[in-house]
Amino acid sequence: MKQAIEVENLTKVYGHPESGVLAVDHISFEVPQGDVFGFLGPNGAGKTTTQRILTTLLEPSGGRITVFGHDLARDAYPVKRQMGLVPEESNVYTELTAWDNLMFTARLYLVPRAERAARARELLEAFGLAEQRDVKVASFSKGMRRRLSIAMAIIHRPRLLFLDEPTPGLDAQSARAIRDLVRQLNVEGTTVFLTTHQIEEANQMCDRVAIINHGQIAAIDTPERLKAAFSRVQSVEVALEPAEGSEPDAGHGDALSALPGVKTAVKVGDKWRLYTEDPAALLPLLVRHAESHGLRVVSLSTLGPSLEDVFLEITGQQVGTVRHQTPEDRPRRRREEGDQ
Amino acid sequence: MNDRGLNRVRDELAQAWAVAIKDVRVYYTTAPMIMFGLLLPFFLFFSFSIKREVGLEVGIARLLALTTFFTASSAGPVIIPMERRTGTYDRLLAAPMSRITLLLGKTLVGAFFATVVSLVPLVVGLLFLQVTVADAGLLAIGIVLASLAFSAFGLVFGSIPTSSATAVGSIMMPSTLVRWPLLFISGVFVPLAEMAPVAQAAAYLSPLTYAQDLMNYAVLGDGYLNPYLDLVLLVVLLAVFLLVAAWMHRRSRQLGY
Repeated sequence: MKQAIEVENLTKVYGHPESGVLAVDHISFEVPQGDVFGFLGPNGAGKTTTQRILTTLLEPSGGRITVFGHDLARDAYPVKRQMGLVPEESNVYTELTAWDNLMFTARLYLVPRAERAARARELLEAFGLAEQRDVKVASFSKGMRRRLSIAMAIIHRPRLLFLDEPTPGLDAQSARAIRDLVRQLNVEGTTVFLTTHQIEEANQMCDRVAIINHGQIAAIDTPERLKAAFSRVQSVEVALEPAEGSEPDAGHGDALSALPGVKTAVKVGDKWRLYTEDPAALLPLLVRHAESHGLRVVSLSTLGPSLEDVFLEITGQQVGTVRHQTPEDRPRRRREEGDQ
Repeated sequence: MNDRGLNRVRDELAQAWAVAIKDVRVYYTTAPMIMFGLLLPFFLFFSFSIKREVGLEVGIARLLALTTFFTASSAGPVIIPMERRTGTYDRLLAAPMSRITLLLGKTLVGAFFATVVSLVPLVVGLLFLQVTVADAGLLAIGIVLASLAFSAFGLVFGSIPTSSATAVGSIMMPSTLVRWPLLFISGVFVPLAEMAPVAQAAAYLSPLTYAQDLMNYAVLGDGYLNPYLDLVLLVVLLAVFLLVAAWMHRRSRQLGY
């Protein structure tokens, strides 16, 4: 399969090479042409630094990047002509109209004069901005600015599109519209490099994801394979309530954590999620536990690991819920050397 | 140069022009530009010229040098930090054009603004005050070249690789610290011929010196240096300032600012 991006031993040190801050630490990965590639990581993990290097905004301290066969350090011009960039903040000119923003970008990316107007009209229509074409962007909502920002990034029909956190802060409708637009671009052949910390977004949109943590690639694979590789984060979700005539048991979390095979118990709304490597063995134990504590099982289901579980397991983070765990089961930072 | 090279040059010039036109539309109504670019040269002129028995032609030559210097060099320290702050500068840096092309576009913006502003006192002087110009051609070339060189000079400040590169105030401070002293050593208020040798040596370090001398030749028909030397030096300074600004952009890219 032809690669859109090939990254070898990419390193970035901010400041002095010896004493500076190591933001990206010898990472290597490939993005096949036509893929939607997700680049996940917690804040400060190095994902934005990596993306800024790939889009030529930052100079790497070491390593080699090839985009569509061109060495980015030596031959950036043809790469720049084939890439589009949608940064985290919608960097549109608020003093100009939507139309003028598009026409300026078209000139910047050398779209032939004869095609500019037709392409701008087509994009305004596709992005639901046709009626606002002559309105100054200062009066646009965040979602409209985001859509315009994407339209500006693709006016020259790039083969590779970089999207940095495309949907945070948007209402559900705008976020969905943008995801649909990106999917459509991908169907039309654009390779998409999606930087995000929205795990579900990556799960829904990406052919492959890389998880970066502390400047290193911690895992890289398809979302489903990553989930399968982390079978130890399978879980059973149970909702319990006191049976008629019983007193509420305030110690659910500790009691559930102590069940054989339970690695971690996390409260999720009115339910408990119990992480285990063997959900089938846990089910009868849970039922017996409920009976012996005067509890009624309201609902009970087994869950495979979500991409969020995988992400949290790799990055050693916790979601914002109460978590009970034994000391030996503390989340460990995991680095899969073989994936690099 | 082959066809491919010529096409690339044509494309880059078109991109520089697109950047310049966009900046003219977006930034010239901003408060810092009006304050530092439009009003300041006139304030300075009146502060140092009223009640000093300065002839009309001398005053016009002085005002033209001041206007081109302050107005043109105000653009870079205002526009680049503003664009860095809003993220729009990344759009320009990621576009398929060289850093020099981007800087050339930005230079054209400052030069355009300075040329237009300097026409105001010139037209007023010519139409209403019976001011005469010794060499109109030299004056036209001088205004354009000085504006280009000083605009590139301003870009040097806007390009300083610093962690506060997004703050207009942080960039304006070094720009003001350098530009103001130049005002007093460049033969604007004290002619070069009347300066002590040490002061003259200092004057030769200032780009404003050559613009003032050129304006003196163009308006009064008399200067201190050779006017063609002034022209050549302004071209050289334009190139030097662009290269320094491009080098600073490279440092920013390395340092992550």
